Amino acid sequence: MQEEKKRMDKRLSRREFVKAAAATSLVGAGPALTSRLHAAGSGAVKVGLIGCGGRGTGAATQALMGVDKSVKLWAMADLFRDKLDVSYDMLSKGAKGRYDRVDFDGLADQMDVPEERKFVGFDAFHKLLGSGVDMVILTTPPHFRAEHFEAAVKAGKHVFMEKPVAVDPVGIRKVIAAAKLAKQKGLSVVAGTQRRHQQHYLEIIKRIHDGAIGEIVAAQCYWNGGGGSLRGEKPEGMSDMEWQVRRWYYFCWICGDHIVEQHVHNIDIMNWALQAHPVQCMGMGGREVRRGGNIWDHFAIEFEYPEGVRVLSMCRQIPGCSDRVSERIVGTKGFAYIDSATGYIKGENPYEPPGSPNPYVQEHVDLIKSIREGAALNEGVQVAESTMNAIMGRMSAYTGRALKWDWAMNASKLDLTPPKYEFGDLPVAPVPMPGKSPLV
Amino acid sequence: MKNKAMQTTPDLSRRDFMKASATLGAATLASGTSRMFAAGSDKVRIGLIGCGGRGTHDATKCLNSSENVELVAMGDTFRDRLESCRRRLKEELGEKVKVTDDACFSGFDAYKNVLACDVDMVILTTTPHWRPMQLKAAIEAGKHVFMEKPVAVDPIGVRSVIESSELADKKGLTIVAGTQMRRISHLVEGIKSIHDGAIGELVGGQCVRLGGGMLDWGPKERQPDWSDMEWQIRRWLFITWLSGDFIVEMHVHNLDVMNWAFNAHPVQCVAMGGRQVRTAPEYGNCYDHFAVEYEYPNGVRVEYMGSQIDGVTNRNDQRFVGTKGRAYTDFGRVVIEGPNKAEYAWDSIDPCITQHADQIAAIREGKRLNEGKRIAESSLTAIMGRMSAYTGRALKWDWAMNASKLDLSPPKYEFGDLETRPVAIPGQTKLI
Repeated sequence: MQEEKKRMDKRLSRREFVKAAAATSLVGAGPALTSRLHAAGSGAVKVGLIGCGGRGTGAATQALMGVDKSVKLWAMADLFRDKLDVSYDMLSKGAKGRYDRVDFDGLADQMDVPEERKFVGFDAFHKLLGSGVDMVILTTPPHFRAEHFEAAVKAGKHVFMEKPVAVDPVGIRKVIAAAKLAKQKGLSVVAGTQRRHQQHYLEIIKRIHDGAIGEIVAAQCYWNGGGGSLRGEKPEGMSDMEWQVRRWYYFCWICGDHIVEQHVHNIDIMNWALQAHPVQCMGMGGREVRRGGNIWDHFAIEFEYPEGVRVLSMCRQIPGCSDRVSERIVGTKGFAYIDSATGYIKGENPYEPPGSPNPYVQEHVDLIKSIREGAALNEGVQVAESTMNAIMGRMSAYTGRALKWDWAMNASKLDLTPPKYEFGDLPVAPVPMPGKSPLV
Repeated sequence: MKNKAMQTTPDLSRRDFMKASATLGAATLASGTSRMFAAGSDKVRIGLIGCGGRGTHDATKCLNSSENVELVAMGDTFRDRLESCRRRLKEELGEKVKVTDDACFSGFDAYKNVLACDVDMVILTTTPHWRPMQLKAAIEAGKHVFMEKPVAVDPIGVRSVIESSELADKKGLTIVAGTQMRRISHLVEGIKSIHDGAIGELVGGQCVRLGGGMLDWGPKERQPDWSDMEWQIRRWLFITWLSGDFIVEMHVHNLDVMNWAFNAHPVQCVAMGGRQVRTAPEYGNCYDHFAVEYEYPNGVRVEYMGSQIDGVTNRNDQRFVGTKGRAYTDFGRVVIEGPNKAEYAWDSIDPCITQHADQIAAIREGKRLNEGKRIAESSLTAIMGRMSAYTGRALKWDWAMNASKLDLSPPKYEFGDLETRPVAIPGQTKLI
């Protein structure tokens, strides 16, 4: 407990910690608001998995493995039965060499998901929320997150949700409203921006906030890596909607494009380090190699933060190019470099952190502890803002227009939602053309 | 870092020039020049090689910059371009244009014929591809050279320009490059204050030039008798082997200002870009957007973003971030923010006149004025950004400068078949 407290102190920046402490005392004053009481450090947590793809399966294993065996998988939901079955099977039997960073043995002894708690279809999430779960894992493709998060909070559930949390400003507003409601209800919300739970990030960012590199005057963040194209034809008889949702990565309305879906990780570090979101941005990009669907394969954005601090973001999903996934923060007295494996500070106050435990597990450990201790963690607004950064960068690049945060956050009417959620016709929006695509 | 560049890439603004003349005194370096000039009097005879829009512009500025400067020979690949330029110059400049019919040359060898005329200096304003070979021939022929930016489209060309510049020094010939931003007064003052420490040590920077699709540039209709080669040369702006792509052809200006402020060239870069909007076949094989991160010495990372796309937010500015403030520059001013707050405004002296006046004076006074290596380095800065974007590969300066074998020259210079090379594809286009 004491050790945990110490770790929490490290994890939270000074300012966030003050906020968190305030939230904690609020919870202490009104525990009846939470969905359920947990005796500190113990108690069964019934988990519902909404979105049973690769990431959902991975997140579920990490939630189940992270703390103890009283964390149970209680219900599962997906748009497609075959996805749910594959996930159920893998969770029961275990898997080797998963892309989700850990091998795991079968978790059947932590699973209690009978047929009646397996839900399929566009409204599966609603049914799951009514099945008696304490916490949900939201890992559908990004488009659906805002609606699922809102429903989960209204239903009084604690939430782990993958990044990004929306694909357009309308969705962001919904997430922020729900995150505020979660705060009132004392619900925990942790986002899959796992760098925030990774020890060497925590150590370096804490030192940056404590002035180790002086005043921040510039920064860079990158996710330049590989990526594919939408191959193959839509199978005979399959609806446009099903085809697009099954191949969701390649369609902007579901994925948000890779700057939002993937690069949000690095952009989130910029916001964390600078303790702010940008005030404006100017972006460019395009689609040189990728085929099928309508997302791009490269973006470069200049974000301007308060006090005129400009930050360069670059992301690329093209195979065969030089890869770089990292962040760099430049101050008047030195600079910091960080990536998923390592990091350092150079300059007047050099520093090299120790290695980190697996952050994909750690984020669930932090979440479940916070639920049990009634000390609600709430990363909802923070991840909504980082997602908004990425969305704003994409909107600027797609249209070729410089954008202000306040406009994008408050005035933009961009809503990528299709006319209706049903397995029918759904034309693919054209690939955006800067200077021609309208700013909405 | 500061001093090194002053030694290797002299920046001869008017003010620096006054300083330089004070230190050099009456000493001259004229031995080996094509001709001796009695101070301030003798006629300077000019040959114009490349009679397009920029050639016409530069010849006009040059002849107007100083007394007793005459245009006596002209060359261009195309006779029609030469004649229209000659007509315009004659109208504009009257007696200063003394170009007889037998001093007009067309075809791929036109430059050799101009160099064989009795000229003291040539203005090289053909498309960028030809600059290295024409500079080499001009310096070997003992001519002073004014040459437009960029000065090459590939590393092979850059190396040639550096060699020719070294030879020019040995021969006491002057070389001025058409990077007129180096002579805009507010930039000269502002960048000097950066060099003097007004914003502390440089730790970051941005160089942004966005907008302007150039869609209406050049002849759009291919004439039936135009070979592939002729069509490409007439549409040269959009053909990489001729122009170097717009990051090289146009934005070398802005990148040159970055190198100037940093007193250095980048050590490495990583870039992306593409051809998203300007995709019609008449736009050849160039891109319409580039984003490059240049890393200067001491790990200082600088962002460049450039596009030629209509309908986007237009920008054209540079910004330098220091440990003690920031400097913002555009065509109109330099603003220093921080404890040493200052603003430098344009004095409206035309830098395109100044650059020629400086050169004519240096020729007459036998002073060293050689911007060849500096503009070669700025050209390579842009070329390296393009190479990185085209291939998707991070690049080091030393490799690009010394090891790259990239040579965009066509198999032969003749009006015949010449396939337009495919648009570069990152991850697939080879790094050469």
